[in-house]
Amino acid sequence: MSFLDLVRNAFSNLRRRKLRSFLTISAVVIGASLVSLLVSLGIGAQQFLTAQIKAMMPPDTVMVASSKEAFDIGLGGVGFGNAPEEVSDDGGVPFSLEPLTLQEIEAVRALEHVERVDPFVRLTAESVKLQGSDKNFRTRIRPMPQYQVEDTELVAGRYLTEGSRRECIIANQYLDSFGLEQPEDAIGKEVIIRVRQAISFIGLPSEVMDYNFGIVGVTEKTLSSTQIIISIEDGMEISRFWADNPAWYTDDIPPAILQVKLEDSGYADQVAQAVEDLGLGAITSNDVLGLIGTIFTIIQTVLSAFGLIALGVASLGIINTLIMAIYERTREIGVMKAVGASRGTIRLLFTMEGVIIGFLGGIIGVGIGYALGLAINSISHTTFLKDFETFNISTFPWWLMVGVIALSTIVALAAALYPAHRASRLDPIEALRYE
Amino acid sequence: MIELHDVWRLYRMGGETINALASIDLKVSEGEFVTIVGPSGSGKSTLLNIIGGLDTPTMGRIEVDGQDLSKASDRELSLYRNKKVGFIFQTFNLQPTHTALENVSLPLVFAKVPLWRRKRIAREVMKTMELSDRLRHKPNQLSGGERQRVAIARALVNDPKILLADEPTGNLDSKTGEQIMELLTRLNKERGITLLLVTHDLKIADYADRMLRMLDGQIAEAVDRRQAL
Repeated sequence: MSFLDLVRNAFSNLRRRKLRSFLTISAVVIGASLVSLLVSLGIGAQQFLTAQIKAMMPPDTVMVASSKEAFDIGLGGVGFGNAPEEVSDDGGVPFSLEPLTLQEIEAVRALEHVERVDPFVRLTAESVKLQGSDKNFRTRIRPMPQYQVEDTELVAGRYLTEGSRRECIIANQYLDSFGLEQPEDAIGKEVIIRVRQAISFIGLPSEVMDYNFGIVGVTEKTLSSTQIIISIEDGMEISRFWADNPAWYTDDIPPAILQVKLEDSGYADQVAQAVEDLGLGAITSNDVLGLIGTIFTIIQTVLSAFGLIALGVASLGIINTLIMAIYERTREIGVMKAVGASRGTIRLLFTMEGVIIGFLGGIIGVGIGYALGLAINSISHTTFLKDFETFNISTFPWWLMVGVIALSTIVALAAALYPAHRASRLDPIEALRYE
Repeated sequence: MIELHDVWRLYRMGGETINALASIDLKVSEGEFVTIVGPSGSGKSTLLNIIGGLDTPTMGRIEVDGQDLSKASDRELSLYRNKKVGFIFQTFNLQPTHTALENVSLPLVFAKVPLWRRKRIAREVMKTMELSDRLRHKPNQLSGGERQRVAIARALVNDPKILLADEPTGNLDSKTGEQIMELLTRLNKERGITLLLVTHDLKIADYADRMLRMLDGQIAEAVDRRQAL
């Protein structure tokens, strides 16, 4: 029996019991649409976070510090999957980042595939306000090297020029805070960034300094909704005041963290290894993305488990439908055997029916999942994700569609095996006598 | 053509062993018309099923057209049923949801004949059965005689050497039954198809070259009507 005839026969049998076929397929559809929709939401969220992290830490850079643990301090002690480290009684103070030595910095600069090395400037600003207004807002000052600034998408204005001073690019969300209608309205305005010294003496109010910056650009909407991008040079100046240490970022106290730009993102792991061979610590965006990937794998597994349970229940429906079909078609199976169908052929006939149920259910399910995803995207863009028009919370890569269709087909195939086996074992003589 | 040597077929039924066939020796030559008569439970249908490759003997040897059926695998037996023999049943056993043409085509499906050729061959065979105006009819739109002719067309569609008929006139009125018998006799005489026919109607046995009377799984009597005449 040819493959085409098997498919034809399966379809004609499914048509014979339309309602039952519809219900059986529907169960598969529910499972397949659940799996595909839930996974697509996971993928969408992961892609969004990944893009955000890449904006904060470009894939063609490596962060270098005296040790890997140093980053942990900088990131608030995430741990990167390692067991918590033991610290001495006077150790583990959050601000005690060990500066690199000049020799170490030179050694990093001399590594192969390193294009340029910038200090990673840390500072905390207290607030920001628009010149002429008295409303203060929270802010996060991001001193960035030129090339990284240029990776940021702007909706108005221009990038900072190399070595420019007192120019800044503000996050899109400040438009709302500042009460500006259009991104263009912000260009040319000034903001005042207030910085309070990190360490104050007990009983004394800490010192405060205001810095004026001209707005030259506005970013598109991202998760970094409080960031104000300034040049490294401005950053170092403010940081010296913030830390109350004029030697910061000079040869006396070199930077503790370096942002190393590579010729290509493909060298990231190689350079990170070379940095570690120098006895220093390095992290790449892959490290961070890998961590996020692990988290999302877990989330997606849990989410798709619901759909998988639905698919499992659907497979019981398939078994039931096919066993019913054996009873209905006992005589027909007998006739088929009498005119030349082997056991294998009968087995194939029933297996193919299951496969078609799973395949159709998978296709329709993915279609419904996709449509629901589109609906969720369009609803989210007018409500809770209004600020992120470019972000689709439901994302359907081709492999998800193919994967879910294949999964439901395989589940249905597995469900059909037992009924198919049973049908093939029917004694033709008994079957022909069956009323 | 058909040779059975000491063929036994035993069934177990509630701890009891039943000899459906007990030491059957039989030779049927090519083009012969043999009827098998006997009371129900005498083993006539079992004999037919074993010759048709639907059942296998518990002991003994059966050879058809040089092929040893007692040692054949399921796949070989299905091929044999598909190509060498055609079954005709008392209850026609047509597929009610399929058209007459589709019913006739069924053996060709398992012979892996492509769809367009299936239709052509089936139409050809139905023409010889005078069913050309009944191609698209479903079995319930056909008379009893027409249904049996569709079933005969299905049995003939792969051009078999042997026809096995189990009470082919049992569900028909006597006039239609006669027509079917004439049709089968003609197929036997004109096309040289070996015909084995199970019946308990002695009048039908008159059509045959040879009549076997079965009792308790054994051939109790064999009447060669050609010699008798």
